[in-house]
Amino acid sequence: MTEPPQTAEPSPPSGAAPAPGPAPGVTADGGPSPQAPAAVRRRAVLAGTAVSVLLILAIVFGSRLLRDFDSALLPYAVATVFLAFGVAYRYTVWISAPGARRLFRQGWRSFFSAANFRRAPTALPRMIATYLGFQKFLGARSHARWAAHQLLFWGCLLAAAITFPLTWGWFTFTSATGSGPGYEMRIWGFEIIGFDALGFLGWLMFHGLDIAAVLVIAGAAYFLWRRMKDRGAITGQRFAYDLVPLIALVVISVTGLLLTFSSIFLHGGGYQFLAVLHMVSVVFTLIYIPFGKFFHIVQRPAAVGMQLFKYTSRRTGEGEGEVLVCRRCHEPIDTAPYVANLRGTMRDLDLGFDEWAEYCPRCKRVLRGAAYLDHVKKGFK
Amino acid sequence: MMGRTIFIDPGRCIGCQACVSACRECDSHRGKSMIHLDYPDEGHSVASLPTVCMHCEDPVAPCAEVCPADAILVTADGVVQQADTTRCIGCANCVNACPFGVPKIDLQAKLQMKCNLCYDRTAYGLAPMCATVCPTGALFYGTLDELRAERPGVQVADSFTFGTTTVSTGVAMVVPADKVRWPVPGGLPVVEINGRDVR
Ligand code: HEM
Ligand code: SF4
Ligand code: SF4
Repeated sequence: MTEPPQTAEPSPPSGAAPAPGPAPGVTADGGPSPQAPAAVRRRAVLAGTAVSVLLILAIVFGSRLLRDFDSALLPYAVATVFLAFGVAYRYTVWISAPGARRLFRQGWRSFFSAANFRRAPTALPRMIATYLGFQKFLGARSHARWAAHQLLFWGCLLAAAITFPLTWGWFTFTSATGSGPGYEMRIWGFEIIGFDALGFLGWLMFHGLDIAAVLVIAGAAYFLWRRMKDRGAITGQRFAYDLVPLIALVVISVTGLLLTFSSIFLHGGGYQFLAVLHMVSVVFTLIYIPFGKFFHIVQRPAAVGMQLFKYTSRRTGEGEGEVLVCRRCHEPIDTAPYVANLRGTMRDLDLGFDEWAEYCPRCKRVLRGAAYLDHVKKGFK
Repeated sequence: MMGRTIFIDPGRCIGCQACVSACRECDSHRGKSMIHLDYPDEGHSVASLPTVCMHCEDPVAPCAEVCPADAILVTADGVVQQADTTRCIGCANCVNACPFGVPKIDLQAKLQMKCNLCYDRTAYGLAPMCATVCPTGALFYGTLDELRAERPGVQVADSFTFGTTTVSTGVAMVVPADKVRWPVPGGLPVVEINGRDVR
């Protein structure tokens, strides 16, 4: 076909493209499609319910049938159940969209492949460390962003590692002598370590959350500052999506620190009020995690799956490991299995030009220019 | 559906690279130019073609549809934004699926970047950097009426064919009057490679 079809009418608003209307997974807020098909929503509710029930069971049995459960922490525990539901729900909706679904399958297939493991046993731990733990790629964006995010990341991780098991009644601290200073830490009722509350370890145990708060405040303050000053970050910035998470982290950390301050220096003055404020901000944030920017904590492991898929498909032999080159200029595009995966995604989405994925972006532009030159405006006159 | 947008007229492009330099000054991706300037007939003619994001409307933003991380936001005004820095995992799906060859990717930073119609400017009524500096009007920003006021009778097209699919876009291209009745060929199916007919 050299000429475009001369008989075609000027395209109506919806063009010749199939099924006008919102595409799956794409919405005005870029978030999950609110019109996810009913079947997907049903599956998501099911997943959410299953995960929350599992968590409730884990709380009940982990706290030795609630004997170790601290009822003062009930609101927090309830919030974590909502969090579990929300995460499972959103995760299911997310991986049901074509692009994510195919990558999800390939990612987990590479993850569980025994052959991959034998061939490169260190690939997976290495990728988890670079893409999830140390986020090396962020350093290429800017060193300050990397440092600030590391503070946020380790601060949040530390805080979660301490508070979640405490709220669920999984950790307990008991003292044989009544009020210390000798304490034992127990997990699920089993004694793990004994320590002296007045010693270094004891100090760390009781101030871990304060340390976490300081890390988080430093990281969040940098990002807040950046969102006021950096014109790139400000472009298209949305209050609910970009600023609320940072403000929430600062409020949680500051009120948490003030609780310690109140009990050490004010003999508990204002403690009740601060405790309520702290609890409200934490509960709000936990419930909000699946729906806004914090969902990236759940989503980012996909980066590991994607890298592992590309890495292992580059290393498999027998023709499969070949890097596909552009059909026109022979510049490398990506591994053949990756391109096949993308073409499948495009077909799922009724994007009828998946063959185009075998040309590099520059050749696509040049070929389009050449077509314009040949058929639209001879010699660009 | 054409509102205030960019109109591209490759016939006016003299390949001066002013747009490429100006794009680098855009606040939303300072130091990196997102516009492409290509020479479709290199070695034979001086023809050059500037490419900005076409802000595909139907199918809505193929780049965003293939994104596994929901990282590409389409704002209510139809602008297809750059990847969200928090979500993009740098998989390059968008780079290889975009029929116009628009998105770029920074493989070190694991981040896609693309033309966002100078959102920091157009959201406030200013013209994008490229159209502001283009000396020949190959890149024009405004409404179709404003374009016609300057160039009486000019015709534009906002749909492109790739194989069997027609993509209609937010950004439009100037076409001769007798060529407005069909979608502009997008280059697929490919008929010729390096001067060889490959049909
Ligand atoms: C699973 C590991 C994680 C990864 C791979 C990850 C990755 C990222 C990336 C790539 C960004 C974009 C940063 C930029 O380009 O400037 C980001 C932003 C952010 N992350 Fe994480 N993150 C992770 C976990 C966390 C955790 C545990 C928190 C704590 C709540 C957190 C809080 C944030 C916040 C608040 C931002 C927004 C910063 C801004 O205002 O731009 N992240 N994250
Ligand atoms: S031209 Fe490419 S990058 Fe721009 S909206 Fe269309 S598919 Fe996305
Ligand atoms: S490179 Fe980023 S924006 Fe592009 S498809 Fe992959 S995750 Fe989405």
